Amino acid sequence: MKKEVPLAITFISGLLLVLALFIPHKPFGNLEEIFNDWFIIVSGFTLLLGIDSLLGYNFHKIKRKDKDAPFALILILSFFITLAWGIIEILRTPEHNPFSPSSTFSLYFYNYIFIPLQSTMFAILSFFIASAAYRAFRAKEINSALLLVSAVLVMLGRVPLGQDAAPYVISVIFLIFAVYFYAESTGITETRTKLIYILVALIFVALIYPLGWVYFKKHIPEFADWLMNIPQMAGKRGIMIGIALGGIAMSIRIILGIERTYMK
Amino acid sequence: MTTIIWTWVAAFFTLAILSFLYKDNPLYKFAEHVYVGSSAAFTVLYVWVFDAYPKLVIGFKEKAGMQKYMLVIPLLLSLFIILRFIRPLSWLSRWSIAFTVGMAAGLGITGLTQGFLVPQVQASFLPLFVRGETVGQTVLLTMNNVIIVFGTIFTILYFYFSREHKGVLGVSSKVGVTILMLTFGASFGYTIMARISLLIGRIYFLLHNWLRLV
Repeated sequence: MKKEVPLAITFISGLLLVLALFIPHKPFGNLEEIFNDWFIIVSGFTLLLGIDSLLGYNFHKIKRKDKDAPFALILILSFFITLAWGIIEILRTPEHNPFSPSSTFSLYFYNYIFIPLQSTMFAILSFFIASAAYRAFRAKEINSALLLVSAVLVMLGRVPLGQDAAPYVISVIFLIFAVYFYAESTGITETRTKLIYILVALIFVALIYPLGWVYFKKHIPEFADWLMNIPQMAGKRGIMIGIALGGIAMSIRIILGIERTYMK
Repeated sequence: MTTIIWTWVAAFFTLAILSFLYKDNPLYKFAEHVYVGSSAAFTVLYVWVFDAYPKLVIGFKEKAGMQKYMLVIPLLLSLFIILRFIRPLSWLSRWSIAFTVGMAAGLGITGLTQGFLVPQVQASFLPLFVRGETVGQTVLLTMNNVIIVFGTIFTILYFYFSREHKGVLGVSSKVGVTILMLTFGASFGYTIMARISLLIGRIYFLLHNWLRLV
């Protein structure tokens, strides 16, 4: 009984929503809207489980006298202070909304604590991304070289200085490729393959002026846009179709009770 | 005066987070824990003000008849979640979780089909020859459509693991990887730009609002 009822609830709620899409008449017509409201209410309350877990974990740290106990206390205090501030503003403001522009919560907490913390936290990610890029973007293999080139071109195309910097950056990238192919050719004994490698190296040198100093100097923003709108779109579309198919398959498994991990 | 004090508070938190670039230190840990604690409370307030209160409390006040009494169901399901903290009755919380999972699955089928699958497939049905005003334009427009159509197909084929990637499937999945690399590279560059613009924003705040140097 303890397992069958939840499975039945999952089956009925999921199936009714699917039926509501195909039968847009009473009693199914506005079912999606009603269920959506219920879903928002109930899923809002599930947040309490997360809060319980967060506070419980930090209370436990204090109890254990862990070395991070003072920080755990700071976390708990900042949680309750923020919550109390918000509740006071709910009671105090005429709109009963701490997020209204006139509330002190919005004016001070949001603008001077929340926004600086959040945006700086995301801003420092740029350094870690750059460090990850240093490790990932090796021009040794064709695929990682493509990753490097497309990232550099998009970055150059999106900044005002990019147009001026593009010829130099493109020259350096092409020279690196030329040197790489030439260095590889020295280790090859077969004459035909060796000649192909040297030819590729020469093509890279030959392309520096027409591509770097003529085309990209003028058209790097348009090229970056093309890269974002055409090849990037194709790859993204393939990924999105894959996500949709996977999500639909998973949803069917959940509704039919094949996937039951949420019951644990 | 109040603004000056709050600007100093914001500058302190900004510098505390930036100090992590040197190494992990108590100042960073302090700011990090304040951020986690306050954003958890922020989310609770947000959910109450924009979701639970208008849908449940205002719903009870404003709705009439059957619609009003039907709100007892989500109220009960919400209360069942809290019963998770009372051990003998904790099994009732499964009902609420089952409801949210069922709803998410139902919305997953309808939402993903309507919002993702059909529009993306529809947008990929493009003509493979487009006549432009000039020969160059014709070549460019045709090439763009060919890249989008075949790029999408080859990307999907790369994720097809039911057969070994040999022969035609092998070649097409290799092209798929190439398209994926271009995609990831371009998205990566775009993400870096977004993060850098956030960093510029924070540095501008320090130099302009706090130190008043620029």
